[in-house]
Amino acid sequence: MAKRAVAPAPLTCPVPSIASDRVQLGHGSGGKMSAALLRERFLPHLGNPVLARLGDAAVVTIAGCEIAISTDTFVVSPLEFPGGNIGSLAVHGTLNDVAMMGARPLYLTAGFVLEEGLPFDLLDRVVRAMAASASAAGVPLVTGDTKVVERGKADGLFVNTTGVGLLDDAFRPGPDRARAGDAVLVSGPIGRHGMAIMAAREGIAFESQIESDSAALVPLVERLRLSLGREVHCLRDPTRGGMASALNEIAAASRVGMQLEEAALPVPADVGAACEMLGLDPLYVANEGVLVAFVPEALAPAALASLRSHPLGESAVQVGRVVADHPNLVVLRTAIGGTRIVDLLPGDQLPRIC
Amino acid sequence: MCLGIPGRIVEIHDDRGLLMGQVDFGGVRREVCLAYLAGQVQPGDYAIVHVGFAISRVDEEEARRTFEALRELSQLDELDWMREVAERSLAGQAGPRA
Amino acid sequence: MKYLSEYRDAGVARGLIARVRARATRPWVLMEVCGGQTHTIVKQGLLELLDGAVEMIHGPGCPVCVTPLEQIDKALRLAADPRVIFTSFGDMLRVPGSECDLLQVRARGGEVRVVYSPLDALELAVRHPDRQVVFFAVGFETTAPANAMAVWRARELGVGNFSILVSHVTVPPAMTALLSASDNRVQGFLAAGHVCTVMGWTEYEPIAARYRVPIVVTGFEPVDILEGIWMAVCQLEEGRHEVENQYVRSVRREGTVPARDLVSKVFQLVDRKWRGIGEIPQSGLGLREEFADFDAEYRFGLTAIQVEESPECRAGDVLRGQLKPFQCPAFGERCTPDHPLGAPMVSSEGACAAYHNYGRFRQARPAEV
Repeated sequence: MAKRAVAPAPLTCPVPSIASDRVQLGHGSGGKMSAALLRERFLPHLGNPVLARLGDAAVVTIAGCEIAISTDTFVVSPLEFPGGNIGSLAVHGTLNDVAMMGARPLYLTAGFVLEEGLPFDLLDRVVRAMAASASAAGVPLVTGDTKVVERGKADGLFVNTTGVGLLDDAFRPGPDRARAGDAVLVSGPIGRHGMAIMAAREGIAFESQIESDSAALVPLVERLRLSLGREVHCLRDPTRGGMASALNEIAAASRVGMQLEEAALPVPADVGAACEMLGLDPLYVANEGVLVAFVPEALAPAALASLRSHPLGESAVQVGRVVADHPNLVVLRTAIGGTRIVDLLPGDQLPRIC
Repeated sequence: MCLGIPGRIVEIHDDRGLLMGQVDFGGVRREVCLAYLAGQVQPGDYAIVHVGFAISRVDEEEARRTFEALRELSQLDELDWMREVAERSLAGQAGPRA
Repeated sequence: MKYLSEYRDAGVARGLIARVRARATRPWVLMEVCGGQTHTIVKQGLLELLDGAVEMIHGPGCPVCVTPLEQIDKALRLAADPRVIFTSFGDMLRVPGSECDLLQVRARGGEVRVVYSPLDALELAVRHPDRQVVFFAVGFETTAPANAMAVWRARELGVGNFSILVSHVTVPPAMTALLSASDNRVQGFLAAGHVCTVMGWTEYEPIAARYRVPIVVTGFEPVDILEGIWMAVCQLEEGRHEVENQYVRSVRREGTVPARDLVSKVFQLVDRKWRGIGEIPQSGLGLREEFADFDAEYRFGLTAIQVEESPECRAGDVLRGQLKPFQCPAFGERCTPDHPLGAPMVSSEGACAAYHNYGRFRQARPAEV
């Protein structure tokens, strides 16, 4: 292919850069806009070394003990979906964030913003689901708060949960610990939560058996801790923004590149079909019951065996590896041998027709 | 303008005078407008669906036949293929599909 | 998924790549005029696998990218109107208008909703009789039957609060415009498989004959694209210039007649501006007189809005295949998917966005360009 030299021309492209002066939905998507929001609007005022690590949870020392604290707010709509509701999601999500730092979750708190007019029976189902999820994980909900806002101000119900856990010195996965030569493992099929939600969206809705995979990953993390301990370099639950966002964040924090094998990605048939229909890429679809683990390649078989010994991890597989090449870039090798970059999306992934 | 995927027509019904159907896409189902294929399709047939409309019936026979030919084409080893090309250009024939 | 997954067969695809590479005695220049095909080509990394045998130029096949600035601005006005629920396919939401995009209008309080099908938009109108529902009817000929049906049904069912903002374009005039340009480098085309599913391929026969270019009607999966490229390369090597059909499982020569019939009842050919290219006569669809009621431009008094695009914008050169995206001075720096300067950087298969993902990796490696 002949290289065509183009003399540098003064830029005359007239379409203006779009500067945004307010919050958009994309800022909540887990992609580049979310990262920018954090970097430009929050960190400059609130920054400190603990926060700057930007892990799933913060690690602090209290009276000589290392504690992990994580907080998350849940705004999912619809409030109830196949496989769970905002309550179970809120408990699982925060338990998982604490667990991803290697901590054993001990306590949870919950804050509720209730919209005027929310039916009590719906609220009951949400709270009962929270209780069931917390109890199954053995983590009590020890304090909380409730507020009510006027009709129209809260989409039914918003929940914030905060989790506190105890860290073990011998088990410290962190987003900056991925190393060249690590295997990238995923604990189960991807894309279920996001597509289960999409199936219920007005204007998009379709019928499927897809259920959210929302689950507490604590038992899986525990198995990894017992079998590999310190050699678990990094754990992440790929929630909003999907696998692609999680892997990009880790690549940036650890300053490494990653290579994924498309053929190895565990996409269930119905999730794949729903993605085809809407033109979505499963790599960007949210998961709530899956974790990504980074362990030295030589220990991958042991890690996989560990994960597979629990129902939540029975279809765990290796999907790629960490490389020293192209730091900060996550690259996918397609089944036919081509390559493409898997980048962070600016905002939400949108259904397309093209 | 292209995102059209094949789905299997599961059932057909009338919605206020418009021919509609339930179409299954690998386990996911949606209501699809079948008006443009009226009289040409029945449950069990496959159709290409774009933005909720069936725009063509999948010709399963053609698909099978051409895919087999394609599979063969992609498997002939280098020597066979080179010989084939040489023979074809000598005979001045057209390509594999006219 | 049946009739989809087998066309992603890695073995068949690799075999076809080998075939194409061995068959081509020199690098041929092909163009696909379809965003979906561009998407596959980029997603599968086919460009690098075909390097040396085939150069693919991404044509103006992305209706999102070619929607003229003034139609986007009209959409933004409508979306900001408190009477309106503005509905659209997802593709359009981040396309920059003169001042902002639909997502920002939503942030400022406009009601903007993504729908999967124009019938979903009509349904919204039925369910919200107190609001005006406008649907952004963008697309090539593939989508025209769906949009036509939405208008037809609205009239049949007496849904008075539904209207569409039309920005339809048709492929053959664009192809002809490209081929008649003096600096045209394209030697063969992959024609859009779903456009031809609806329209058939008769319109392409005079083009192939007049400009002596092979045109292969092609599908969207990697095996389809590679087979289409294979067929085009064979024609070029053999000195033929015909219309051939690769996408036999979906396309017939006459297309889907009932769809074409309804489209011609509801729409008519009009002159259309293509963003970055300029006006191409008789290259668009507009609502016929008797459906003027459903035209959002009339209903909301927007017909007078005219926005001039600068003739200096590089997006036009990219869309015509004269400039590779990375040759544009703004590429990757002032212009990225996060803050796009033009439409080809916004749409996920716009040439610039495609290169931003695919191309950055290639430039990062010590390889030839």
